[in-house]
Amino acid sequence: MRAKIAPEDFIMTGNRRRRFFINKPLQVRYMFAVAIPLLLICCTAMFGFYLGIWGGVLGAFTDEEMRNDMLTASRMVEYEQARYQPSKPSFSVLSLFRETDKLSQRQQEVLQGILNETNRAILWKLLLLLAFTAWGSIFISHKIAGPLYRFSKVFNEVEAGNYRSRIFLRKGDEGHPVARELNEALETTDRLLSDLKNALRDPNQAQALARIKEKLDRIKTSADV
Amino acid sequence: MFRRSLCFLLIIFLSLPTTVSAYIPTPEENELLTTIERDTLQYFIRLSDKNTGLTRDSSRTGSPCSIAATGFALAAFAIGNERGWITKEYAYGRILSTLKVLKEKAEHQNGFFYHFLDARTAKRVWASEASSIDTALLLAGALLAAQYYPGTEVETIAHELYRRVNWRWMMNGSKFICMGWTPESGFLPYYWDSYNELMLLVALAVGAPENACPPSTWHDWLRPEGNYNGHRVIFASSGSLFTYQYSHAFIDFRGLKDQGNDFFENSREATLANRDFSMSFSEKHKGYSENSWGLSASVGPGGYKAYGALPGGAIHDGTIAPYAALSSLPFTPELSVAAVKFFHKSYGKSLYGNFGFKGAFNLDKMWCADEYLGIDQGISLLMLENFLNDGAVWKKFMALDAIKKWRAVTGLTTAPRETVSPGLSSGAATQAASPLPQ
Repeated sequence: MRAKIAPEDFIMTGNRRRRFFINKPLQVRYMFAVAIPLLLICCTAMFGFYLGIWGGVLGAFTDEEMRNDMLTASRMVEYEQARYQPSKPSFSVLSLFRETDKLSQRQQEVLQGILNETNRAILWKLLLLLAFTAWGSIFISHKIAGPLYRFSKVFNEVEAGNYRSRIFLRKGDEGHPVARELNEALETTDRLLSDLKNALRDPNQAQALARIKEKLDRIKTSADV
Repeated sequence: MFRRSLCFLLIIFLSLPTTVSAYIPTPEENELLTTIERDTLQYFIRLSDKNTGLTRDSSRTGSPCSIAATGFALAAFAIGNERGWITKEYAYGRILSTLKVLKEKAEHQNGFFYHFLDARTAKRVWASEASSIDTALLLAGALLAAQYYPGTEVETIAHELYRRVNWRWMMNGSKFICMGWTPESGFLPYYWDSYNELMLLVALAVGAPENACPPSTWHDWLRPEGNYNGHRVIFASSGSLFTYQYSHAFIDFRGLKDQGNDFFENSREATLANRDFSMSFSEKHKGYSENSWGLSASVGPGGYKAYGALPGGAIHDGTIAPYAALSSLPFTPELSVAAVKFFHKSYGKSLYGNFGFKGAFNLDKMWCADEYLGIDQGISLLMLENFLNDGAVWKKFMALDAIKKWRAVTGLTTAPRETVSPGLSSGAATQAASPLPQ
């Protein structure tokens, strides 16, 4: 006879979990395993884009008319700076682009402005990406950590003698085939133990003993060695 | 008889004023300097607009016109005519048409011209300021040209332009002359309150026939003293050599005593300090040597900068501007001639072109300017003219009523001249003629 499973034995009701960190160490390890390569890929891609964009910007400066205008504008500012307030050169992100050394101070200022604006735009996108990556890794790790938790809990219950426990996984969780096989194994064991218990209730002891023997002969244990 | 003659000669010798050791250029040196002056004139001939006469700030494509460069052009045309390099018709015609444009078309505010003007329309460009110092350089050039053509329309218009300037307005109620004014922001927050190229500006402002600044405008600006390597200098904050040269291109400060200061001697000391300073870095910068010096505002590998030396700001990166050493010819003739010869001989191929010396060079970065700047060419030409032609510019300029008035109201005393040598005349490289003290 197949045992009925009570609703309270479900590890979880519905399709929602209340806690995201079910197995924190595993999930954190998983997060790093996923997040770091993901971030590296993103950063490499962004750096590539970055260089590409700046290559284009610098390329635009080679346009003769624009170059002349930029040079003149820069010269005007340089004259003012030379006359009013000599400025001291300071380190800037522009030094990553060596060709900007060839540009005049004003051009470097203009490029620096664009660069700062781009950096600001990229920075908050990067932070957003980081948050998404963190959330994504928790979400993905959750689909592994959740089933593992349920396996562990069912094993503990079985160890405690509750053979009515079954593994129930959410849709989308990893490990459905294993859970199905384990549930089948648990069901077989549960049925065997139920049959043994029913046989013991038989008033005809000889018949009961024969039924038990028949059942036990089918299974292999360490005692059979 | 012999004894009497000997006594007479001895008396003559003893009665001569104390002379500073003078440098006599060789005929070859004289020829080289004359060639440079003549070539430099070409900048103003080629890069002044044919219709407006306004001169481009730089030979670089797209450069606007600078009123300071235009002032130098007016002086250069007159000098070129005087030297016989261009005809009177050409020089006079160019000067007159330029002055007419300045009077009738060029944008100005209370007589102060905007720093940069469009070559064709003479309208303000690049949001530039109505500049006091650049207007002064323009007027100095115009007034100098007027001296070359007395009694002509050139003289009339030049003095009209000078008279219409409201110098007091540019003081903005302060003790000093403001550096500029823009329609957008009003007066700039900078004033000519300390020693630099301001002397020409203040002299013209104080000596003006109308709306002149009070004599205190001359007396009040700071005269900060510094010392470098034994050279005591009333110094400019930038330490740029041009600040010690611009006023001297027009005004003959030799013998003028201002509160006990001799600004001619000051420029000489500043030049020597500038040279010493760069030489002290000769191991660090390949371009610095005993004959390769001159830290002054110029283009450089990283744009235009106010390069300079101690005392004062000492921004330098190995960039040398040839015009700087050249324009110190009246102050340090021997050293300047040696530098000019060195620049011409060693780097002439890339540094010297159709318009004279280019802006600057930097051996550390293997960089040489590919442009000429109008004001660099202007100061070079005027200083060459003073040196080679017996202070011709000084003589003309010092004869102006404005300069006489400036000297009178400021009480500038005249000390006995330390040199009385007649000076070199054009092409006359005689060993006996020594124009200026070394």
